[in-house]
Amino acid sequence: MADLGDLADPLVVVALRWADARARVDPLTGEVGTDPRGAGPGEADRCALEHGLRIAGATGARCAAVTLAPPPAEEMLRDALACGADEVLRVDVAPEDPRLPDSGAATARALARSIRAELGDPGLLLTGDHSADRGTGATPAFLAAELGCAQALGLVELSLVDGRLAGLRRLDRGRRERLAIPVPAVCSVEPAGVRLRRAGLPGTLRAREAVIPAIPAIPVASGQTGAEPPSVRAARPYRPRAKELPAPQGDDPRLRLLRLTGAHEEREPPRVVVTEDPAEAADELLAFLRDRGYLP
Amino acid sequence: MRDRAGPAAEAVTVRRPEAADFDAVVVGAGPAGSAAALELARAGHSVALVERGPFPGSKNVYGGVVYGRILDELIPDWYERMPVQRWITRRQTMLLSGDRSLTVDFRSQNWGRAPYNGATTYRAEFDSWLAGHARAAGAVLVPSTVATALLRTADGQVVGVRTDRPDGDLTARVVIACDGVNSFLGKQAGLHPDEQAAHTTLGVKETLALPRETIEERFGVTGTDGVDIEILGGTSGVPGGGFLYTNRDTVSVGLVLGLPGLAKAGLRPEEILAELKQHPSVRPLVRGAEVVEYSAHLIPEGGYRSMPRLGGNGLLLAGDSAAMCLAAGIWLEGVNFALGSGMYAGRAAANGLRSGGPAVLGEYRRLLEKSFVLADHKKLRDAPGLVLSERVQHRYPGLVCDLAEGMFTVDNPRPKPGLRRLLRRAARHNGVRMRELARDALTGLRSFG
Ligand SMILES: Cc1cc2nc3c(=O)[nH]c(=O)nc-3n(C[C@H](O)[C@H](O)[C@H](O)COP(=O)(O)OP(=O)(O)OC[C@H]3O[C@@H](n4cnc5c(N)ncnc54)[C@H](O)[C@@H]3O)c2cc1C
Repeated sequence: MADLGDLADPLVVVALRWADARARVDPLTGEVGTDPRGAGPGEADRCALEHGLRIAGATGARCAAVTLAPPPAEEMLRDALACGADEVLRVDVAPEDPRLPDSGAATARALARSIRAELGDPGLLLTGDHSADRGTGATPAFLAAELGCAQALGLVELSLVDGRLAGLRRLDRGRRERLAIPVPAVCSVEPAGVRLRRAGLPGTLRAREAVIPAIPAIPVASGQTGAEPPSVRAARPYRPRAKELPAPQGDDPRLRLLRLTGAHEEREPPRVVVTEDPAEAADELLAFLRDRGYLP
Repeated sequence: MRDRAGPAAEAVTVRRPEAADFDAVVVGAGPAGSAAALELARAGHSVALVERGPFPGSKNVYGGVVYGRILDELIPDWYERMPVQRWITRRQTMLLSGDRSLTVDFRSQNWGRAPYNGATTYRAEFDSWLAGHARAAGAVLVPSTVATALLRTADGQVVGVRTDRPDGDLTARVVIACDGVNSFLGKQAGLHPDEQAAHTTLGVKETLALPRETIEERFGVTGTDGVDIEILGGTSGVPGGGFLYTNRDTVSVGLVLGLPGLAKAGLRPEEILAELKQHPSVRPLVRGAEVVEYSAHLIPEGGYRSMPRLGGNGLLLAGDSAAMCLAAGIWLEGVNFALGSGMYAGRAAANGLRSGGPAVLGEYRRLLEKSFVLADHKKLRDAPGLVLSERVQHRYPGLVCDLAEGMFTVDNPRPKPGLRRLLRRAARHNGVRMRELARDALTGLRSFG
């Protein structure tokens, strides 16, 4: 298994998703209103950048931050430069195709082609696990497919052990999985474990003046842009379907109503667990979680 | 571990730098800061504009109306490019007493065409737009960065600021503090008088969403025309006032409350605002609206008499940090005074830098005195005291409403009472002595006349 440092010109790329996490959706028309001033990378993307900077620093690799986004995303790339990225690249979204970044497959294709053409083949490509605007988390998997490399997705830890990439991933029922990650690889990280460093003032000042390179997204053949974006066919107020409940039995209308609320049903009353021994309290909690099926 | 530092209590002593990083550092990208940076950059000086928010305007709160005439000097044809919500073509002054009200309503379509008068605009948009002009002229905007302390030499000369970033010292030949009402930098320099709370009010505001057509119907305007309503009374007895402004799809309703009075009343500002929204003259205007934002911010309302020293030793204060906001009852103008003072601070600093001398403060003061900024403040120096006085706040609204009610109540078979009799009756009923009324009228005339 190769180390990142063994590669000829080791390159760590961090792909950042530029999103407005507080976008407004008109409940009647479905129209999405965003404010570019409030947009930026999500917390997971910020963690990905920190991992990228640390790993590049430790292995002597170049670190590049890349985004597929319109011009206002320059600010996000300036911040990446200020934090220590060696280079940045903005892949422009054509005005006639503003929803391109909403398709994971098309985004991955556009990014992979642009990265290869402009920066070279990355030894490690990092992303956040989900975009901040409710993404599916599929883009990193598509990126791995496009670049033909290994993938380790949804990591809570990523580090270098003896020069090799090692990751930790959450599994169901509280289990963890340790991964030895070969390069080249695409890794996506959860917003956990690390925090993006605060950029120093000299770097910030340099980044404010930097020219941010931008290239148009390399066009992909029609039919390859992934799923069509959803379109609004009818605009109506949101009215969830009524839930059917069996009519409660009984003569007294008050009791029938109460029965509907479930107020008189038998249930295990809540208990306050107070024990002197922390171990006992922990046992109590574990037993509860086991009882409810959260633990094996 | 803290990764964002709050302001340090004291300035930091450093050696005089051999070469400064910038000709000037401007702290705060509000209207004052951006105007100062724009003026300096246009004069060919290197300038850093340090802003603690992620973008200019992200941290700022105000009511909603900008009177942009001073922008003629900074950005010609500003009115064709400024991000405007509505142009104010209708101004009302509303006096509230109990559930009664008396409104003076003025409308001018002249204000709805170039060169316009005032406009409602959102601060996130306005401040970003103005800072964009400063950047385009060459200023370096440094966002998400807090200036935490002044850098001073042992002999007291200000030579830059310390920021909360690693390696965060920024040196400059002149520092302009436009850091708003709390101006920690001004306080570090010992420029602010002590009893600041007494001259400070708390502004609270709700932005309420309403369909555009509803706003136009309720406020009697169309297209891009808008309304500015200043309110006296309706503050649950706390000295202050209120306002109601129209934007395109929202209205801003808010209060300005004197801090000592608010503390004494033991009321919560949002409760007083909820009460104002229930007033029979206000409720129909805001009924059914959805609250999309609640914000609060301090305002330096003391005017001329409470202004700090305006700088010294390489430091200048402008805008709210120099208490330049004009609050005189029918006027609440802070942004234009911030723009003006920022612009003159920038101009004085640029002239000082060009001549290589430190005589910046004297020129700054001269420029302010020659312009509306200090001329208006000087003329209206007694207005804040008068407007926040017990009589104007509590007794006169009642007196005026009694007078109007007496005039318009048809009390047949009794004959109509004369105005003089009504005035005497209303004065007595509201505990106003005719002598006090005459004296206040004279003060008012001297200030506003
Ligand atoms: C509720 C309310 C209603 C108002 N209504 C109106 C109105 O309708 N019309 C009007 O003209 N005026 C109004 N005003 C007054 C007006 O908002 C102010 O007078 C004006 O904003 C002052 O501008 P400024 O640039 O001096 O300060 P600010 O607008 O306060 O800007 C100061 C800037 O400095 C930044 N800053 C502060 N400290 C630091 C630091 N240490 N480091 C870096 N950056 C820092 C802040 O983030 C901010 O961007 C109102 C005020 C309030 C509170």
